[in-house]
Amino acid sequence: MEKDFIVRTKNVDFFYGAFRALSDVTVDFEKNKVTALIGPSGCGKSTLLRLLNRMNDLIDGTRVEGEILLEGRNIYAPDVDPVEIRQRIGMVFQKPNPFPKSIYNNITYAPKLSGIVDSEEIEALVEESLRQAVLWDEVKDILTKSAMTLSGGQQQRLCIARALAMKPDVILMDEPSSALDPISTAKIEELIDTLKKHYTIIIVTHNMQQAARISEYTGFFYLGKLIEFNATEKIFTNPDVKQTEDYITGRFG
Amino acid sequence: MRSRYFKQRLFFGAVRLSALVITLALLGILAYILAHGFRAITWEFLTQSPTDSMTKGGIMPAIVGTLYLTVGAILVALPLGVVSAIFLTEYAKQGALSRIIRVGVNCLAGVPSVVFGLFGLGFFVVFLKFGSSILAGALTLGILILPTIIGAAEEALKAVPQTFREASLALGVSKWNTIFRIVLPSALPGILTGAILGVGRAAGETAPIMFTAAAFFTAVLPKSIFDEVMALPYHIYVLATAGTHIEETRPLQYGTVLVLIALVLGIDLIAIIMRSMFRRNKRW
Ligand SMILES: Nc1ncnc2c1ncn2[C@@H]1O[C@H](COP(=O)(O)OP(=O)(O)OP(=O)(O)O)[C@@H](O)[C@H]1O
Ligand SMILES: [Mg+2]
Repeated sequence: MEKDFIVRTKNVDFFYGAFRALSDVTVDFEKNKVTALIGPSGCGKSTLLRLLNRMNDLIDGTRVEGEILLEGRNIYAPDVDPVEIRQRIGMVFQKPNPFPKSIYNNITYAPKLSGIVDSEEIEALVEESLRQAVLWDEVKDILTKSAMTLSGGQQQRLCIARALAMKPDVILMDEPSSALDPISTAKIEELIDTLKKHYTIIIVTHNMQQAARISEYTGFFYLGKLIEFNATEKIFTNPDVKQTEDYITGRFG
Repeated sequence: MRSRYFKQRLFFGAVRLSALVITLALLGILAYILAHGFRAITWEFLTQSPTDSMTKGGIMPAIVGTLYLTVGAILVALPLGVVSAIFLTEYAKQGALSRIIRVGVNCLAGVPSVVFGLFGLGFFVVFLKFGSSILAGALTLGILILPTIIGAAEEALKAVPQTFREASLALGVSKWNTIFRIVLPSALPGILTGAILGVGRAAGETAPIMFTAAAFFTAVLPKSIFDEVMALPYHIYVLATAGTHIEETRPLQYGTVLVLIALVLGIDLIAIIMRSMFRRNKRW
């Protein structure tokens, strides 16, 4: 069967001012799969992730070369609205960052602005998103409480629910569990596993076991270059490139 | 360890002392004004117009005038200041343009208030033909307090965590909505603080309204924004320097000062209450 790639990058270079953070990155992300990005600190994983939903637009003095395609359309073409791209490609950050609003309003904030007005539809959306993020049972009775009162792990799942409420096609996660305890981490991994039925997930992680457990594909980055991209099983058992093996076995990085 | 502890004690002691001195000085001034002015404060004083060439009667027109001017100045300066601050912090690239604007704003803050008065006279009163009026005075005062408000609003906007902006934008919310629904509400307490400072300044200034809005004497209240008004600071100035009965009217002068201070503190209090109400559900 022909593979369905939802996001592809073609020969992408990226510059922070004069500093080249990514060189010639070409990678295809398969639809409804989990792809992990690994590599030592500073190798450009977050940079690539933030390129995929144009979050790097926020940083002055940056420059992209090459193409990044979402279902065949270059998202950096001049006629593309980054807002529309970000509605289709959601993002979860390393540190949970809920808004200082109620749990309920954290979820409804973006969908309401995107034009959903029907109150029943909104309520259904809140429950659905929170269920998908495995948070519903914990918060269903305190929806009007401030999101700031939740624990870190709950806040992160709220942030995932908040992203899901926009019904994106792709979800980018930048070390989503690195600030969390093992139990919260396990919950996040579980929910990633269920999410991939409906979403394409691209996740940056420093945790090798996590990459091995949850992803179908893994890309190894080093100094702004994609060194190896392969099926996760292959990467972790029999990588093609020596550098990958060194990194995975902890010989450097 | 012991010596460090001692130094700390010393330092805190010095901090306490200076706080005490400031508080005492403030209380001293207040007590002085209170002692000299409280006898003048009567119901008639607050609710009637001056009589007998302003040696008797009340100061009601001046109270009303100052309220109009102050509220008018805030109505002018708050939206303008907040929009400018939004432009500077959220839109302008940190380049030459925003630097020039910032320098301009800082210069504006250092300009003596009488210059604003002359500008108001030349531009609003004469050129735009507003005449000496609430409108001209409020606009002049508004420009006077603009730097205060821009500065406070900028600080408040910058204090909003960048992660809030990122979180909102990453959800596919437009920059405009991100600013108005996330950033601005979070910055509101700080912006209100700026407004408080501005109010205090606007209510107390004499020079900017002298040529643009303040009447020496009117027994009637203004009917439109194109009418002249009496104003408390100008009234004090007139009583204390320009009258023929300067000594006789001393109690009235102190009474007027007392009312002005009470008015400013009252407006401040409203803003402080509003601010704490906003703050209660904005913890991060
Ligand atoms: N805003 C920025 N301005 C300038 N340089 C940046 C900026 N952000 C990142 N960089 C540089 O780009 C390179 C890649 O950074 P990036 O954050 O993508 O690394 P990373 O792989 O995510 O690392 P980590 O695992 O530590 O998160 C680093 O050398 C970093 O110093
Ligand atoms: Mg990173």
